[in-house]
Amino acid sequence: MSYLSTTDFTEDQPFVDRFERMLRGDLDLSWLDAPRERVTCRPENARRGLTFRDLDVGSYGFTDMPELIRENRSFAPRGAAMPEGLPDLQAEVNRKSEVWAYNVEGYYEEAMTRQWNATTDIPWAELQSVELPEDIGKAYAQLLTFLTEVEMIATDVPAKWMGRLNADFFEVKNFIATQAMDEARHAEIFRKRALSTGWGLMRASAQNEFNLKFLRDADSFAEASLALHLQAEGMVLTLFRFSEYISPTEGDKKLFRLVMQDEARHVGYGMQHLKWVLDHFPERREAIHHHLDEAENFVFGGGYATEVLEPFIILSGKGLKKENIAEGVRITNAFQLKQADEYFERLAKCGLPERRERSRLWKMIDLRKQTMAA
Amino acid sequence: MAYYAEKNFFEDQQLIELVTNILSGNLTLEWYTAEGGRVRARPSDLRRGLTYEDCNLGPYGYDAIPEFVRNRYSMAARGSVLVSKLPDLGYTINRRSDVWSDNVVALYEEAKARRWAPAVDVPWAELTAGDSVREAAMAQLCTFLEEVALVAMEMPSKWVFSINQEFLELKSFLCAQMIDEARHVEAWRKRALTSGHGLGRASVSAEQALKELLSAETYPEASLGTNLLLGSFVLAMCRAIAALAETRADRLLATLAMQDVARSVAYGVGHMRYHLAHQPGKAVALAEYLDRTEHVVLGIAGSPEFLEPVVILAAGSVDRDRLAAGSRFARRWYTSAVEEYFERAAAVGLPRRERSRLPRLDV
Amino acid sequence: MPAVSAPPPLRFPSRDFFEALREAMRAERERFSRLGFFDTTFGVRISSDDGGEPAEFALRFEVFDCVGVESLAGVETDFVVEGPFAAWREMLDTIHALGAADTAHSLNTLTHFGEQLRVRYDDPDGHDKLYRFAESIQEFFDLSARLDFAYPDGSRPPAARAERQRSAR
Repeated sequence: MSYLSTTDFTEDQPFVDRFERMLRGDLDLSWLDAPRERVTCRPENARRGLTFRDLDVGSYGFTDMPELIRENRSFAPRGAAMPEGLPDLQAEVNRKSEVWAYNVEGYYEEAMTRQWNATTDIPWAELQSVELPEDIGKAYAQLLTFLTEVEMIATDVPAKWMGRLNADFFEVKNFIATQAMDEARHAEIFRKRALSTGWGLMRASAQNEFNLKFLRDADSFAEASLALHLQAEGMVLTLFRFSEYISPTEGDKKLFRLVMQDEARHVGYGMQHLKWVLDHFPERREAIHHHLDEAENFVFGGGYATEVLEPFIILSGKGLKKENIAEGVRITNAFQLKQADEYFERLAKCGLPERRERSRLWKMIDLRKQTMAA
Repeated sequence: MAYYAEKNFFEDQQLIELVTNILSGNLTLEWYTAEGGRVRARPSDLRRGLTYEDCNLGPYGYDAIPEFVRNRYSMAARGSVLVSKLPDLGYTINRRSDVWSDNVVALYEEAKARRWAPAVDVPWAELTAGDSVREAAMAQLCTFLEEVALVAMEMPSKWVFSINQEFLELKSFLCAQMIDEARHVEAWRKRALTSGHGLGRASVSAEQALKELLSAETYPEASLGTNLLLGSFVLAMCRAIAALAETRADRLLATLAMQDVARSVAYGVGHMRYHLAHQPGKAVALAEYLDRTEHVVLGIAGSPEFLEPVVILAAGSVDRDRLAAGSRFARRWYTSAVEEYFERAAAVGLPRRERSRLPRLDV
Repeated sequence: MPAVSAPPPLRFPSRDFFEALREAMRAERERFSRLGFFDTTFGVRISSDDGGEPAEFALRFEVFDCVGVESLAGVETDFVVEGPFAAWREMLDTIHALGAADTAHSLNTLTHFGEQLRVRYDDPDGHDKLYRFAESIQEFFDLSARLDFAYPDGSRPPAARAERQRSAR
């Protein structure tokens, strides 16, 4: 049940004959005459090297790429001459505004130069020498267990879509590849750190697993990206920033700074993608709101994940004593409010300012704010 | 939207009470006693850092993964304490020997350590665009290689979503493959567009062949086809480009790409060894897969968009006498690539020399 | 004061030569670290012009370092690069003159069809390590540019060119 190429090359006598002729130096060279745009791309900034932006020229570039990809349904590199007989890739996504983001080429280049290594870039020897007290150690191991559990959803979901995108969107495919690697690294670093604490892994997070299923089962790339990059990763980015703040050691602070860099890139793509969609496909606005309604439902349901909320409180307050818990609650409240604030702020900046008013999540947050003030 | 939450949590009074309680300082601590097993992973070699091999401990380790993963269909981290009501995320690849390889953990660590960035690691400024037929050939060759890399990137991406999360290290290696090939898509395209000739012509025979490889029905077939079969030839292509390079930039570009491809080939060999050691009955089916699919490498390596540029690069020009020398290089290249592929196939238990329909040449 | 004579140059081929390369690699730790993990043991076999016993060495690499130079006999290797003295000399002469191998004298080029140097191996997996670590291996041999060595006949590689150029053209 697989695709079969239009010929069996070893049985295709004209093909074999031509192969043998080439190997005798009898060349056809018709590819030399294929119509093409002759360009010479050079690095605009020598320190940055040769970037995709330097290749944004004429028919090769992304700026002039049309909204609908009508001509190329194959693997042909964008701008290459396309002879008859190229196979149909069966791409499901052929509309630029389904996938594109401002600066996607910049995010990709940044990702390629900012790859770090969980094995070597964390001061493991230093971390070994620190013995965390039981309450902090367990809370931290539990937070790490949650983080290692959820990270690779952002590998699986974009990867699922990669092969469904038209080949002309290779900058997006390439960005997806870097995100897949980023998330594998995150799953790795959180797992390794949990296993180095002396406590091992703790409890899986059922409520968050349902959220992962929601993310996996999105039925369009745009929906997947909205929920994953913008909503989920946006909130995780705030979580990483607070985790850096409450980290028990300097080595852990470094860990969270490194993951934060990657996450910010993913969120950046998500934001720029939403902006692009709203700029070029404004009729999508209602569908976006509808999808965010359910995404936010899952976010609110995350309250059931005591294995995430409570470790955060313990780490923030630095212990289990009553006064620690009180301080932990104070910081955690601030974190959750900030997390929500930043999420709605991002949506507003992307062209969805009305989200806050429409959102049930915001109403609950606002209610909590008022309760706290009172 | 396909999947909806089991309830509207905004109206879930029980949830609201729970959170209110917790944020009043009344922690449940129901997770506090759930330990997966106490371990302390340490780097066995501080120069190397903390590897996945160092974390191969007890229930957390990859050695603990059973052959059949039957009751773990969520993303719960291997070795963590499971709770009831974890969702089924729909994994369809749940058998270890369908994906595993004894070298996959080391290859993942190696891939991370040996990463490079085409934008800055290739000395682009040393390249000079020109009218020469050599540069035209290089542009065409790189256009072809960009096509190949795009497909090589999509192969792992196509399967990773379906593979059980228990095989974490293997999935991580697939991510490394994706970024390796993204790097190749980028690098070959950049090289073509610095030539002064723009991109060349897409290859009908190569694309038809690549689509057949990409649409393999099972992961073992996909890996055999892409990592071992195609990988063998792409590795040979990178070596040829490095050998024919006239500039440091081209030599380095091809060498760095070669390193990445060689890792995929190593995984392909290791994967087949593991797969056939645990599922020896599959050797017949995989041999038949190669019987019907092997022809694709002729469509790829025998495509005029690949072979003619190689002849020209080896010849240095299109003069008749020089082309004779160039074609001798191409003949030797093809013969050596086929031979090394046969060696790898034999090494994994799939001897091809007698069965293969690939043309053999008098060199 | 009595004159202090310069130490005699290293000899190629010799164990001391490869030990010196090992030291040079240690001094370039950062550069080799950036290239990534380098885990292989391979052999170097230099055939004698007069038909005598070849000179054979095993080089062990781990993480970012060359961790051992020893006689090849009895050592399990991933692969062995072998060839006549003249081929090795041509490579080293080029490296010495240019600071690094040019494209015509890289290890990949010289071993490509096995015409100048050949690669021997028992397992294709071992063979493929030549390619997995290709740039690290090349830069290891390129370190010979900074060594002071002589060949068995007493001759030395050419002096470094004033303007080192690594392209074949």
